[in-house]
Amino acid sequence: MARSASLVLGVLLMSTVQAWAGQSHRLKVDGLACPYCAYGIEKQLRAIPGVKAVRVSVKTGTVTVLMNGETKLTRSRVRRAVSNAGFTLRSFR
Amino acid sequence: MGERVMRQITTTTIVLGLGMMTEEYVHAAPISTNTALPVAKGEYVFREQGVLNQSGDDASEADRESSVVSSVTVVGYGVSPELAVFGVMPLVKKKLQLTTPGGQRITRSSSGLGDMRLFGRYTIFKQDLPGQTFRVAPFAGIELPTGDNTSSDQLGRLPAPLQPGSGSWDPFTGVIVTFQTRQFELDFQASYQANTQANNFEFGDVARFDASMQYRIWPNELTETTPGFLYGVTELNLIHSDNNRLNGTSDQNSGGTTLFGLLGLQYVTQRSIIEAGIQIPIMQDLNGTALERDYIIRGGYRVNF
Repeated sequence: MARSASLVLGVLLMSTVQAWAGQSHRLKVDGLACPYCAYGIEKQLRAIPGVKAVRVSVKTGTVTVLMNGETKLTRSRVRRAVSNAGFTLRSFR
Repeated sequence: MGERVMRQITTTTIVLGLGMMTEEYVHAAPISTNTALPVAKGEYVFREQGVLNQSGDDASEADRESSVVSSVTVVGYGVSPELAVFGVMPLVKKKLQLTTPGGQRITRSSSGLGDMRLFGRYTIFKQDLPGQTFRVAPFAGIELPTGDNTSSDQLGRLPAPLQPGSGSWDPFTGVIVTFQTRQFELDFQASYQANTQANNFEFGDVARFDASMQYRIWPNELTETTPGFLYGVTELNLIHSDNNRLNGTSDQNSGGTTLFGLLGLQYVTQRSIIEAGIQIPIMQDLNGTALERDYIIRGGYRVNF
C-alpha cells in the first residue's frame, strides 16, 4: 500500500515538474552558417506564444526551443517561423 | 587675376579632375560589396559606416588633392523572407585643394546631406543545406536628389562634383550571388547606375563588378559557446564610369575604369558586426586628366533589432 502510494506520488511529482519546466524541442535548420543570421531565427521563434527560451548553435545548425508550461509547439508553426527568417527547416522533434 | 576668370579656371579644373568622385554606397555584408543573405521578416538592420576617400598624386600643374569624408547610415527592413528594402543616407564633407595658374593655393569645400538611395532586394533563388546556403537576389532602386546641389563658396557656385548632392534622379539595378558556409562566404555583384541630368550637368553612368571573400580566421574550431566569428575580408571592385556631360558636351577628362583591392577585418556576433578595411587602387585607367584615387578607408558597425 505504502509502495503504491509512493509510486503514484512519484509519477505525479514528475508530471508536475515536467509541466512546470515545459517542453523542449530541437530543430535542425538548413542554411544557417553565421552568427549574425541566427538572430532572425531567434526573433521569429521568440515571437511564438509560449516560447520561453531559444538557443541557436551555428556549429551544429540546431535550435533548441524551451516552452512555457504545457504550451504546445507545432511543426507547422516552427516551419513558418524558420521560413520567415529566410531559412529552411530540416527536422523538428 | 579677376574673380570671374579665377572662378572659371577653378571650376573647370574641378569638373575635369573629379569625374569619378561619385559617392559609393554601402549596404553590404562584406565591407563594400552587397550580399544576398536574408533579412528576416519584420527584422531591422542598422548600419553606420565612416568612409575617407582620398585622391591626389596629380600630374598636372594644378597639383590637385581631394578628400571626401562620408558618414553613411543604412536602415534595412525585411518585408518578407524574400523581399528586403533599404534606405541609405550619406552625410558628406568634400574638399578640393589646387594651385591656380597664378600660383595661388586655394581650397573649395562643401558639406551636408548627400543623395539618399532607396532600393529593394528580392531573393529569386536559394538552396539551403546543413551549414551552407546559396542565394541569388536582384535589386533595383533610385538615388534621390536629397543633397544640396546649389552650394556656393567665396568663389561662387561650386561645380557639380563638389556639391553634396547631384540634383538628379538616378535609377540603378543589379544582381547579387552569395555562397556562405561556416568557414567562408563568397559574394558577387554586378550593378549599373544610369545617371540623369540636373543643372546642365550629368554624371557618367556607372557599371561595377564586385567580388568578395570572407574567411573565418577565428575561432579555428567552433564550439557551442563561440561568441562570434572574426573574418578576414578581401574584395575586388571593378568600377567603370562614363564621361560626365557638361551642357550636353562630353567631358573627355572624366570617367574611366578603376580596379580596387580591399583588405579588412570583421567581427561578427549574433546582434552586431564591427568592421574596418582599406581599399587601394590596383589599376586605374582614367580618361584625360581625371584625378586618380589614392586610397579609401572604411570603418563601421551594424546591429540587428
